[in-house]
Amino acid sequence: MNFDSVLLEHMMEPKNYGELESHNSEGIGKNPENGEKVIVFLDVKGSDPKIEDISFQAIGCMTTVTAGSIITSEAKGLTFTRAQDLIAATLGILDDVPPEEAACSEMVVLALKAAMDTYMERRKDFEFPVISYKIENSCYPQNNIPVEDMKDD
Amino acid sequence: MTRLAVSTHEVWLELLMAGFMASGKNKQILFDFSDIIFRHFTWMEQYLIDEGIEYDYNRQSIPIKVDKLSVILADIAFRLRQIDLQLIVCSDQALCERITSDIDYITFVLNNLEDETVSAFDLSRKFGDCDLTQEATDALTLFLFEESYKEYELIMIYNYLKAHTQDHYLIRVFQILIDESFFHLKSFGQMMADMGILGVPRVIYKELYKITDVAQFLKDGINEEILAKEECKKLSEAVGNESVELSRFFDCINMQEDYHIELMKRALEHYEGIDNDK
Repeated sequence: MNFDSVLLEHMMEPKNYGELESHNSEGIGKNPENGEKVIVFLDVKGSDPKIEDISFQAIGCMTTVTAGSIITSEAKGLTFTRAQDLIAATLGILDDVPPEEAACSEMVVLALKAAMDTYMERRKDFEFPVISYKIENSCYPQNNIPVEDMKDD
Repeated sequence: MTRLAVSTHEVWLELLMAGFMASGKNKQILFDFSDIIFRHFTWMEQYLIDEGIEYDYNRQSIPIKVDKLSVILADIAFRLRQIDLQLIVCSDQALCERITSDIDYITFVLNNLEDETVSAFDLSRKFGDCDLTQEATDALTLFLFEESYKEYELIMIYNYLKAHTQDHYLIRVFQILIDESFFHLKSFGQMMADMGILGVPRVIYKELYKITDVAQFLKDGINEEILAKEECKKLSEAVGNESVELSRFFDCINMQEDYHIELMKRALEHYEGIDNDK
């Protein structure tokens, strides 16, 4: 982690942390390997859905909290179309990052995607359960061995 | 009454943070007041349990970034007066009188503390006279953020467990672990303030302390303490060449974890014994 002043500020005072008092959707991103997870809460308004407010909570490490602080700050005020672009762009960046470093941010992005998908489902069915997505990257380097490097004995 | 407990939780942490920002006599006074307000919090929690009122450890984030100590002290005094006004919802007369009296004295003292310039947010990341390498500084930074939160989390989890058991042996073990975590939190928080990176630990996720399987929690806790020992060892080695003081400190914390592991093993054995007797 490169500790510049912006990153340190997010660590010292994570933005949008905690349960949003007034929210109409939520979604979960989780790491099945170690039980870490992120919940994103959304307050969505309008026929062209827009994220009026957003917050998150995490059972996870400081990297996850920092990623949550940054990503939710970027997502606040976006329409769903723009937020989808943010999700795609972030996942694209994570493709070039070592998997064990990408896992935390992936968990936050998937929680945001899950919250948006939950909202869309709840437009059709008010009682639709909270959607949860699992991450593909692993926090543990030994679990990220590319398939082509695996040899049969 | 739940709102009152939340407000008290927030002021406890704010006073603790102000203690990290302060120096000399001010520091000790603020730490002592913080301890008193934590006790108020635990007494209110007991009241909520006795009355069968649902509660949790949720709270608002607490803005603490100030240039002058007097600014945060004024905010603390304001919040304390708000708590005093909210006491009307509490029917335990003795508890209310005690809290009111404490608030009256604490606000009086806070108003008369000498002002100080605060450097706890200057992002200097320098630890005293130690000339740490960039790698050691980064490792220490991440460790302090991770572990200061972890110690706060442990205080709250043990506190919740202690409040919800009648077993004297478990109460004793949980109280020791709370006291130990307070020492760690105060040590790490002070280091963060000295390095200009002070932050309030984040709110705890409800399912972490509303534990249904105490035995599993203790087993997981033992494993976490073993991992924490490894982190302390790594950090001690990382800073060892640059600072004997820091290295010795992390070695000491590492050894303290051994005793926590032993206590948790005994608590687990005791708990499973109770469970088998049922």
